[in-house]
Amino acid sequence: MDESALKKIMDDIEVPPVDENAQKRAVNLAVAEFKAHQNEKSQKSAQGTSFLSRLIGRSTPDRGSKDMKMNKKGLIFGGVAATALALLLVNGNFSENNIAERLPTGGGGVNNFSSIAENRTYSIASLPDFSGFFGKDENKQAAVAPAELTTPPGTAEASPAYVQAVEEANEEDMERAIISSNSTIPVPIEAPSDRLQLAQESRADAEQPKAPTSDQYPAARAKTDEGMAVAELKKSQAEGSSAPAQNSATDTNAKGFYFPSLKNKTAKETTPRAEMADKDMSAPAATTPGYAGQSNVIYPEPYPYPQPVPVPVPPPDYYPRPYYQEQGRDRFPEYKPNSFKVAQEEPVSTFSSDVDTASYSFMRRELNNGRLPPAQSVRIEEMVNYFHYNYPVPESREEPFQPTVTIVDSPWTQGRKLMQIGIKGYEITGEKPHSNLVFLLDVSGSMDSPDKLPLLKNSMKLLLDSLQPDDTVSIVVYAGAAGTVLAPTKVSERSTIYNALDNLQAGGSTAGGAGIELAYNLAEQNFNKEAVNRVILATDGDFNVGITNRDQLKDYVAKKRETGIFLSVLGFGQGNYNDDLMQALAQNGNGVAAYIDTLSEARKVLLDEASSTLFPIAKDVKFQIEFNTAKIAEYRLIGYETRHLNREDFNNDKVDAGDMGAGHTVTAIYEFVPVGSASARTVDDLRYAQKDAAKPAIEETASDSPFANEYAFLKIRYKLPNENTSHLITRPVTAADQRALQKIECGPADSCPASASDDTRFAVAVAAFGQILRGEVNMADYTLDNVIALAQDGKGADEFGYRTEFINLVRLAKAFEHRQ
Amino acid sequence: MPDAENTELIKRAQTGDAAAFEALANQYYRVMFKMAFKWCGDRTAAEDITQEACIKLARGMDSFRHDSAFTSWLYRLVINTAKDWFKSQNRHPATDMEQAANIKAEESAPDDKILMQQVWAQIQTLPEGEKEALLLVVGEGLSHKEAAQILEVKESTVSWRIHEARKKLESLFGKEKKYG
Repeated sequence: MDESALKKIMDDIEVPPVDENAQKRAVNLAVAEFKAHQNEKSQKSAQGTSFLSRLIGRSTPDRGSKDMKMNKKGLIFGGVAATALALLLVNGNFSENNIAERLPTGGGGVNNFSSIAENRTYSIASLPDFSGFFGKDENKQAAVAPAELTTPPGTAEASPAYVQAVEEANEEDMERAIISSNSTIPVPIEAPSDRLQLAQESRADAEQPKAPTSDQYPAARAKTDEGMAVAELKKSQAEGSSAPAQNSATDTNAKGFYFPSLKNKTAKETTPRAEMADKDMSAPAATTPGYAGQSNVIYPEPYPYPQPVPVPVPPPDYYPRPYYQEQGRDRFPEYKPNSFKVAQEEPVSTFSSDVDTASYSFMRRELNNGRLPPAQSVRIEEMVNYFHYNYPVPESREEPFQPTVTIVDSPWTQGRKLMQIGIKGYEITGEKPHSNLVFLLDVSGSMDSPDKLPLLKNSMKLLLDSLQPDDTVSIVVYAGAAGTVLAPTKVSERSTIYNALDNLQAGGSTAGGAGIELAYNLAEQNFNKEAVNRVILATDGDFNVGITNRDQLKDYVAKKRETGIFLSVLGFGQGNYNDDLMQALAQNGNGVAAYIDTLSEARKVLLDEASSTLFPIAKDVKFQIEFNTAKIAEYRLIGYETRHLNREDFNNDKVDAGDMGAGHTVTAIYEFVPVGSASARTVDDLRYAQKDAAKPAIEETASDSPFANEYAFLKIRYKLPNENTSHLITRPVTAADQRALQKIECGPADSCPASASDDTRFAVAVAAFGQILRGEVNMADYTLDNVIALAQDGKGADEFGYRTEFINLVRLAKAFEHRQ
Repeated sequence: MPDAENTELIKRAQTGDAAAFEALANQYYRVMFKMAFKWCGDRTAAEDITQEACIKLARGMDSFRHDSAFTSWLYRLVINTAKDWFKSQNRHPATDMEQAANIKAEESAPDDKILMQQVWAQIQTLPEGEKEALLLVVGEGLSHKEAAQILEVKESTVSWRIHEARKKLESLFGKEKKYG
């Protein structure tokens, strides 16, 4: 491996383009830091020049690094403060400036909002004039600016097409802001008060010989400043060299905060770049080629940005992509689709209930984005359970559900049958229990896109609507560090909560672990035995600071569950979504994992189904089905792969399982091959084992046996929310549960088989779609068209349009299927 | 990017001109980000590191003595920040470079692309000293001397580390396939 090969590899590694938001954030933080540092410095020098105070001043040589340590913790607060400050400044701009005056000038007026930065990074070279806009803080300059704006020097260069394009881009920005209804857009760029000065000076330097008329800002002033700068510099250098001890201390600072020191004189003399730098330092008034270098631009850039693009009319795709999207780092649990099992070998199937819906929303998002979802992200049970089915509701809270079973012919394989098992949870009527909720919100840098933090904020506001006035809500945020943003507050103080939400900004790394601990602490402080105590975690799932070990997190959540505080998870965003961890957390926290891709999904989960999401009616709900080997040869459970339980787990109350909220429905579908339907079998009978094994079964289920009519025996175990022993519900599945899948129009006199409900048809259609998306072998020739037809048949009243939406998604999938 | 152009800005920033500092930070953000990305191979991490580095820069402007190129000085800042960052995160640079290292597909044959990804992944697993030497010398095209200055080690150390790194990579890839 020689150097050139290595070099090629390193050069060819594609560094992703700089994310402008990240850059803005970083620079804003840094500028705030810079100013704070300057203040400190000036305070220090104000200590006086006495020998003693100087000694004191020097006694903390590595002060910088100490502050840095603190800063790591306070980073997020610093960020919030900086952006808040910047917001104020930008707002100030609005109120103080006569906007109308600036708008028509094209150059200045369009530069508000985030587009300031966007323009700056790639098109500043051709923008006419910034000075008037930025300079408003300084009265003197403000007087100059309007005069300039009427005849900005660069106007001739900026073609109308370009100006229009810029304006369009800004409009887009605004629209996005409105759609996402705040926060990402006011990415405030500080309007530094002294920028004009710099721009003017540089212009003075560059343009003096060329366009003396536009040199309104006295060059003399620039020179004076220059001189002062040099004096300052010399002074600081003198200080530096007079304190060599300080330098060496900084150099070897253990925090890794190294600075080149004056000691390295030898190296300096041989480095060409260093020489250049030195030369420049000795001649500060020398022209700066970067400012005047671009001959085709009349008005030079205030600052040479990296790779400025002086194109007058940018190509359409030049405009910023909507926002940065990570690709392909979503993580999903690994599983293999269930295959057929021979009933005689394994007559019992056990699984845990699942009321999550995340997989469906994620699939919807992928399809709406123009691609098929990855097979691993498709969990059929979550797709089926996304929809609400009208199973009969139990009457009492003590026995919170009653099972409904339907057997129909399998639409995709001749000779096989489907067994649909559904339960619906008891619905809370009358007074709802109180809630003690802690929102644990992820505001790390990765949440900084319109489909994450802004959507999260709006979702949380929706959730407030489903709460009662004296419920309490608190907010904990985490990014680089975790902090309480809102102490427990009554829902009736809505404006306080709204304010707290609105002030959230994204930035920094993701200390999810610390956040969880803090959130649980708050929930414990405010624990109310009578109420629902729940932490609601909203995140894109990237935990990279604090407790990052998955199992540790799970254990922590499970331990807290024992104390009566539950955890629900709302997933956001895409590209970096850690579905795997979200699932695990929600399962261990007795909560729901939902994926919020749109505001209407937030409405469904947090408003329409609020009582299901918030109020548990049963926990550790387990299903066990024993198949009658005399009637059933093979079976498979469609979906629930990640919810598999061992046979012995069913009766073991220590084993955790899924939970159900008020009104939740859970649906499971088995596909089975009845005995005698040889052509539909997937495996042959065993030649040797068959007779012995088959014998007792046949004897027991002879035609006169009480089980002759039974396909299977269904058992459900559950615990009431505050109990630790389980209850059992049983129900035999008999031929009486048999229905025709298709809707059969039957006259009163006809004797035709009863047809299954719309719900059954629809659930089967959803299950079929999921299996097709996963590319399962058992689907044979069943096409998406069949799915659409079946789903149409089962659409029913569809009050909220969820089922119609499903059908449209299948149509979308059909379009992509051909493309692939 | 020639540093000479920015001496002016740097000096202004050093005298406490926040606007100049902002311009400087904006201007060098990309360079820093690139360096950070090459160091860790992960976009979010690189952004975090760059942000840290910008903040350090805000406090550390005064310590730049114009005795080396500003970019060289920045490299050191970024590298040290990256090291600290990984220490504080208690995790190691991404080794799964499949997504992180998007090789420009159209320029390379598929075989080469895979090889490059593997090599890149291996670079990430090198010891810190070797990795930083390699990134500066091979990746950024600095001389051993310049790299030594940035890393504050002897020139011979840099040469040795590069040698070691290449030997390791060669033992993994060089023998099977002559590349380049």
